[in-house]
Order: sequence, then structure tokens, then C-alpha cells
Amino acid sequence: MNDKPTMKKTIKAILYLIPALLIIGTFSFYPIIKSFFMSFYTDYDYFKDLVFARGLDNYIFIFQDPEFWKSIQNTMIFVIGVVPLSIIISLVIATFLNQKIKFRGLFRTIYFIPFVTSVVAVSIVWRWIFHSQYGVLNYALGFLGISPIKWLSDPDWAMPSLIILAIWKGLGYNIIIFLSGLQNIDKQYYLAARIDGAGAWERFKNITVPLLSSTTFFISIVSIINSFKVFDEVFALFGGQPGPAGSAETIVYYIYNKFYGEWNFGVASAAAYVLLFIIFIFTLIQLYVGKKKVNY
Amino acid sequence: MKKIVHVLFVCLLAISLAACSNATKPSSTEEQKTADIPTEIDKPVTIEFWHAMTGNLEKTLQTMTQKFNDSQSNINVKLVNQGTYDDLNKKLMAAAKSHTSPVMAQAYEDWMQDYINNDLIADLTPYIQNKTVGWSDSELNDIVQVFRDENSWNNKFYGVPFNKSTEVLYYNTDMFKENNLKAPTTWAELEMAAQTLTKGNVIGMGFENAIGLNFPTWVQQAGGQFVDVDNKKVSFDSEEGKKALTFLNDMVNNKKIARLAGEDNYMSDPFSRGDVAMYIGSSAGISFVEAAAKDKINWATAPLPAGEKASTQFQGTNLVTFNSADDQQKLAAWEFMKYLSSKDQTIYWAQNTGYVPVRESALKDSVWLKYIEENPKYAAAEKQFDAGYFFPHLDGAFAMKSAYSTEIQAVLVGKKSVDQGLQDAAKNTQDALDKANK
Repeated sequence: MNDKPTMKKTIKAILYLIPALLIIGTFSFYPIIKSFFMSFYTDYDYFKDLVFARGLDNYIFIFQDPEFWKSIQNTMIFVIGVVPLSIIISLVIATFLNQKIKFRGLFRTIYFIPFVTSVVAVSIVWRWIFHSQYGVLNYALGFLGISPIKWLSDPDWAMPSLIILAIWKGLGYNIIIFLSGLQNIDKQYYLAARIDGAGAWERFKNITVPLLSSTTFFISIVSIINSFKVFDEVFALFGGQPGPAGSAETIVYYIYNKFYGEWNFGVASAAAYVLLFIIFIFTLIQLYVGKKKVNY
Repeated sequence: MKKIVHVLFVCLLAISLAACSNATKPSSTEEQKTADIPTEIDKPVTIEFWHAMTGNLEKTLQTMTQKFNDSQSNINVKLVNQGTYDDLNKKLMAAAKSHTSPVMAQAYEDWMQDYINNDLIADLTPYIQNKTVGWSDSELNDIVQVFRDENSWNNKFYGVPFNKSTEVLYYNTDMFKENNLKAPTTWAELEMAAQTLTKGNVIGMGFENAIGLNFPTWVQQAGGQFVDVDNKKVSFDSEEGKKALTFLNDMVNNKKIARLAGEDNYMSDPFSRGDVAMYIGSSAGISFVEAAAKDKINWATAPLPAGEKASTQFQGTNLVTFNSADDQQKLAAWEFMKYLSSKDQTIYWAQNTGYVPVRESALKDSVWLKYIEENPKYAAAEKQFDAGYFFPHLDGAFAMKSAYSTEIQAVLVGKKSVDQGLQDAAKNTQDALDKANK
């Protein structure tokens, strides 16, 4: 394992890596670099690949565009609303599914189904659940004496509806990862803790949570990155619109609209790079916190 | 970690310096030769036509295309369904970028605006004016005027009208009978009818979520001007614009006698459930309402009620052909366009889909007259040709539309006052227009 790299070994390794590199290179690196340059195009012919002028105008434009700030704000609300709640709920469910209960396999399947179902199909069901007159959610809330909420047509409720859908949708994946993390925890710790007289809550707090921290760390990074990139859910839940009166427009929706709608390729690329930068900063912060708090 | 960031930055800097070489803009606009088009197809040509027609619309298009292919010895038209209009738009853009454009496609005017700016679609004028394969003046002028104007940029034709629709008023005839009402023809009658029909769970009037997009209709009905095309000035922040938005806002938010489609996406659903007594929507939706309302409600259509004057926007796509096609393919596409817009075919298309015929001669044809007599629901759309308009050809039209439509929607969902919404809408729309025309 500690051998020095030799030419022969390197070439061999590169041969193994080439297929994946080619694919990643074509579909990830090339677009990433290309859009970086494009974000500086201010006067250009996109279809003939001609550039007449470059500059910072695209960045200046988006930072002065209230719609862009609104989309950043919405995306932040989405991340803050989805990630912590999703992690807590899936941890709790995973803990229960890890116990010796009947129909455990069935439950695991049930919780995983939302993750493998297409967003569009899921959204159709949720559009019905959220329907203010005929939806099952308002019907249920009616028993609690809560008057009907216009989940999908009131701009103030658009983001909460989106968050609820996203949490539910992401649960399955998080639960599976948590379950595998839970199964890696040595049973001996729990037995020792029981002998010391620790209750269920204390065992959970002092053994499960710290020993699961690397899993939690992984899930939090993946969920934050995915949440920043939210698009499908918005598109499908509000029928192709970014919510009533643009109230659920996210950064990726903004990019999509600038690119496909307005053919503002430079502005779309600039916005994409701002998003990349935000995600980059968040990931750095997480890595920093992770180093201090995570037990491996 | 620091190291990686460092290396990344250096790399990016290096490539960006290396890649900075500017092209120079072509300075003179080349004069296009008009006469040089082939008029004969001597060997078999296959052309692809990308469309977004589904269900019954697609079947009708297939039948018509089959008939065309059978009648031709050298032309074979291949239909390619690209999904929704949104998908079609995206794929056409991607195809143009990768130089794999189809020969023919459906396109809205605001797409065409972008295509023309990027020199992607062919000017059809040489074909239209050609003595052998073109149209005579009377054949050209037989195309309904609003469609002719819509397809011309600087006196050049870039498209041929295909599936055209407009807005009509759908109303529930059972409810109207119960309340002794007739289809409203003015704003006052519309409001009165909505007021009378709103009771219990029923709301009198409905608007599509795209009401914001159709705001120009309301401004013009109020007697105002939406945008001053010559001076590139948005002009709806006016007395008339305010009147229009106040009228809509009063019905929706103050009197609560109208609603938006909102969570139902399209009004056809709540209308056919009987939750809404009438609504304004596209005439292309007739077949959808027909399917949804079957055995539930009785209904009919009427032209839009008028304000100070009548006004209704014409929508739907045109046929275009791409510059990347060779001369033979373009000629084949032109032959197919001529066929689809011919009198018999446009009638056949309209009868089977709910779109309007695009030729004056078709509107007067006995086959069509008999058809609308038997199917009066299809008659409301074509009665409005005189009041028809289309959104002006402006760079940035798409951005303008989303700017005002968002603000108008914000007013109608109760997030903004009429004055504030109108002011913001006008400002953002002007900004979008200015940005695109810088």
C-alpha cells in the first residue's frame, strides 16, 4: 500500500480511469468550464460560437436583479426548511426501523418508495393532497378545526408546501443511509450502557448520535447540495410555473428561465456560477465543522 | 483543501486568459438574393417536421400528412413528436446549437423572434413570391390578416400560420338558464352575471393562471395601449391600464365573484365540475372541456365580452423552416406548408381540433359554414377576427411577458395593490424591453 508510484502503475490506473473520466469530462467538466467562460460573454452569437465582447455585465445584472435575490432567498428558505427537518425525521424513523419489529422489511420498502418514484408522478398526487377544496390535507386539518389553507394558490403557502413535498420525497434515501450507519454500530456499546443503567434516550443521545455522526455528516452534505439545486419539485408541483406570482422561484428555476426562456445564455451561466460558489462555501463550512465534530 | 482551491484558481485563470480572443462582428448586412430558388424537386427528399401535437390533434396531423405523402412522388414528410411545446422549444434550441435542426417545425412568434435574431429560420418571401411554386396575391391575401401580420418581420414572411386559436368565453348553460341570463357581451354584463351566479359553492367567473399574460387584452378592451412599439415604450401604466386591473381585481379580491385556476392548473376542471359558472380560456381547449364536461354539465361558448372596445389575442404556432436545410428540402417544406394552409386542409384541421381556419375563403366555405352551424361551440373563435391582435414583435418579448404576468398575478392573488402592481409591472416590463434592445 505504501509503495512509491511508478510509471507502470500510473499508466495502468489511468487505463482503468479513462472510461469514467471521458464520461465525466464530457458531461461535467466541459460544461462547467464552458459555462464559466460563457458567464463573461456580453455580446455573442451562441449558435455560431462567436464572441464579440466579454465583461462582467452578466454578474452586475444578476446582482441588481431583484428576481435573482428573491430566488436566492427562496432557495435559502428551502434549504433551511428541508435539511434539518428531513435529517431529524429520517433519523427517528430509521431508529424505529432498526428495532426488532414486525413487518420491518415492508416498512422499509414503504419508506423507500417515494425516493424511487418520479417527481412528476409524486407531484400529481401531492397536487391533489394540497387541493384547498378537495384535498385530503385540508380535510384532515378540518377535524382539528383549522380552516382550509390554499396550499398551492396562496403565495405565502407556496414555499411551505414545496418544503413538505421535498421532505417527504427525500426521507427514503436518508433512512436507508441511516439504517446502514445504525447497523455498523457495535451492539456491545448498547449492552454496556444497559448494564450501567442508561435509559433508551440516554443510549440514543450518548451512543447512537455520536457514533452515527459520520453518516449524519454525509447526509447533511448531500442534502444541502441537492436542496440548493431544487428544480423538478417546483416545476411539477406548480404546473410549470414558479409558484403563484413567482413566489416559489428558486435559483435553478431562475437559471432555467434565463437559459431556455429568454435565451440569455450569459446571464444564466453567471447565475449558475453564483450558485456553484454558494454551494462551495457551504461545503467548506461543513468540512470545517465536520473535522471538529465528527467521530470516525 | 487550501492547496486544491489554489490550484483550481490558477488553472481557471490560465484558461481564461488563453481563451480570450474576440471575434469581430460582421459589419455589413448582406443583401439576400430573392429569386434564386429551385422550383422543382427531381429526386426523393425526406423532411422531418418537429411538432408538439398530442392526442386527437396528432392523429389529425398524421392523417393529413399521410394524404400529402401519398400525393407526392418525391417528397416524404416524417412527423416527429417532441412532447410539449416547452420540450419542442428546448429541443429546437439544442438542435440549432449542435447543427442538427430539423427541416420544419412549429414555432410561436416569440421563438421566431429569437430564431430570426440568430439567423436560424428561412425567409419564406422568395417562395411566396415565386411565379411557379408561390402564391398569387389573392392567395396570399386570403390568409387572415392578423396571421399574415403576425408572420412578417420587416415585410418578410418567416412563417405560415398553422394551429391558431383565440380566447373565448365558456359558460354553463344550465346555470345561465336557471338565472335567466344571456352570455355577457360587455364588462358590466360580465360582472353582473358573475355576481348573480356566485352562490353557495359556485363562483361566477374564472380566469386562467395565464391571466397575467393576457393582460394586454384587458388594457386594450379598456381602450388603452399596451406598448408603444415604435418608441419601444411600455404604455399600460395609464388610466386605462388601471381601469382594467381594477376591474379584474374587484371581481377576484373585493367582490369575490371570480377566481383564478390556481391549484387546478386549468379552468376546464373546475368548470366541468360545476364549481365555476363561466370562464375565459383558449378556444383550443374546446375538445378538452368536451371530454371533461361530458355527462356533467351543459355548456356553450361566446366571444369575449368587450369593454370600451373588443380585443382578443390570437395564439398558436406557425410553420417555419430552418436555414440549415438545403434548397431541395426547403422547397419540399414549402410545398407541405402550402398544403397544410390550403383551404380544404385548414377546414379539415379546424373541424377536427377546435383551431380556427386560417383562410378567409375557408371561413366562407359551405363545408365550414355547415360545420359551425351544427357545432356552434366552434363558431365563437372566428367571430373575433376583427378584434384580433398579436403581441408585437419585440426583442425581449419573452422577458417582458414574464415580467408583467408575474406582477399582475401578484395583484390578483392579493399580494399587491392595484397601483403598486401596475407600477411594478410597467417598470419591470420596460426594463426587460430596454435590456433586450440595448
